[in-house]
Amino acid sequence: MGIWDTFTDLVEAAKPWATVEAEAPAEEPQEEEQPEEEEEEEEEEDDDEPKDPKEQLEEECKNSKQCAPAKHHFDECVERVTNASDDGEAKEDCVEEFFHLAHCASQCAAPKLWSILK
Amino acid sequence: MEGRSISTSSTGAESPLKLNVAAAASTALAIGSVAWYYHLYGSTAHAMTPAEEGLHPTAYPWVHTQWLKTFDHQALRRGFQVYQEVCASCHSLSRVPYRALVGTVLTVDEAKELAEQNEYDTEPNDEGEIEKRPGKLSDYIPAPYKNDEAARAANNGALPPDLSLIVKGRHGGCDYIFSLLTGYPDEPPAGAQVGAGLNFNPYFPGTGIAMARVLYDGLVEYEDETPATTSQMAKDVVEFLNWAAEPEMDDRKRMGMKVLTVTAVLFALSVWVKRYKWATLKSRKIVYDPPKVTDKFRS
Repeated sequence: MGIWDTFTDLVEAAKPWATVEAEAPAEEPQEEEQPEEEEEEEEEEDDDEPKDPKEQLEEECKNSKQCAPAKHHFDECVERVTNASDDGEAKEDCVEEFFHLAHCASQCAAPKLWSILK
Repeated sequence: MEGRSISTSSTGAESPLKLNVAAAASTALAIGSVAWYYHLYGSTAHAMTPAEEGLHPTAYPWVHTQWLKTFDHQALRRGFQVYQEVCASCHSLSRVPYRALVGTVLTVDEAKELAEQNEYDTEPNDEGEIEKRPGKLSDYIPAPYKNDEAARAANNGALPPDLSLIVKGRHGGCDYIFSLLTGYPDEPPAGAQVGAGLNFNPYFPGTGIAMARVLYDGLVEYEDETPATTSQMAKDVVEFLNWAAEPEMDDRKRMGMKVLTVTAVLFALSVWVKRYKWATLKSRKIVYDPPKVTDKFRS
């Protein structure tokens, strides 16, 4: 992602022997290998489903110091509204507080998430 | 103030106390009128509530949107797989022909094979009958529904939009779609009203969206063994949809680089030529050498 990648990309593009292949390259041995790999994959994934890093990162971010004010307001609002709806009818919702918390969490998690995802 | 006090002290008509009271009163009046005006007209009038606007998506550091970067074609391949296996059951991609996929997402043979899986109308034959033929590379990816009415009828009245240009067609582009796909909370926040048949999504304007959450961890199996988490699938499919909306992006950026390079050279050349041509004019010196005054002309 650094500046050096830009230069290597440019050099790659300028090389006359760099090829763009629209046709499938003849790779019969690989096709034979692929089914085996897929089988292995299935076995692995049956053991443990991949977990979404986004949820985990955002959960950490919600509990971090950065989002403490937003979380405080949201928790307070949820408590107030649930109490009010238990008593009778709630006159407000926590959508706005939820927005602030979600925005803070996703903004905090964004760079971390992109460093994990392919 | 000083000028005034000097002038008043010279007349000696008003006491300093009166002046101070007058100054305080006028200051209070000024501040009060500003406050009153701000109270009346100062605060911004919002036509919509934040819930109606929808949560503004977070800016993610997309690599392919950088100036000198191309699409990650491995990601496009994964994204197309996600589109086919997940999105294509409701959303059409009607502006993308199979030939566009060749060389960017699929190889020729794969694209041909994919096209042949669908049937298309032929030209009328000798009897004027229209028959069916297997698809060719020049055909467009078929839509899941015959028309918009059929799509609405099958989806509880909601029309799944065509995805060909969706990245260009939505405010926030890639960020919005990624946030929308991954942003479904486990349950709506307390007190939020969710309409019948709708799902709560903070990023959708109005927060009530007909599309339910579709991406779950491990939903597809990638051929390159990338772990298919929700966010990974969303990222891949969004990059693919960005490609579908802007298939020319890679070429456009390369052409832009060429244009900038060539223009820079030509500009430098033109500057040099200008200076060369103007050198004689710029470096010349006009000297006025007056004739010596002598008494000879006087007479």
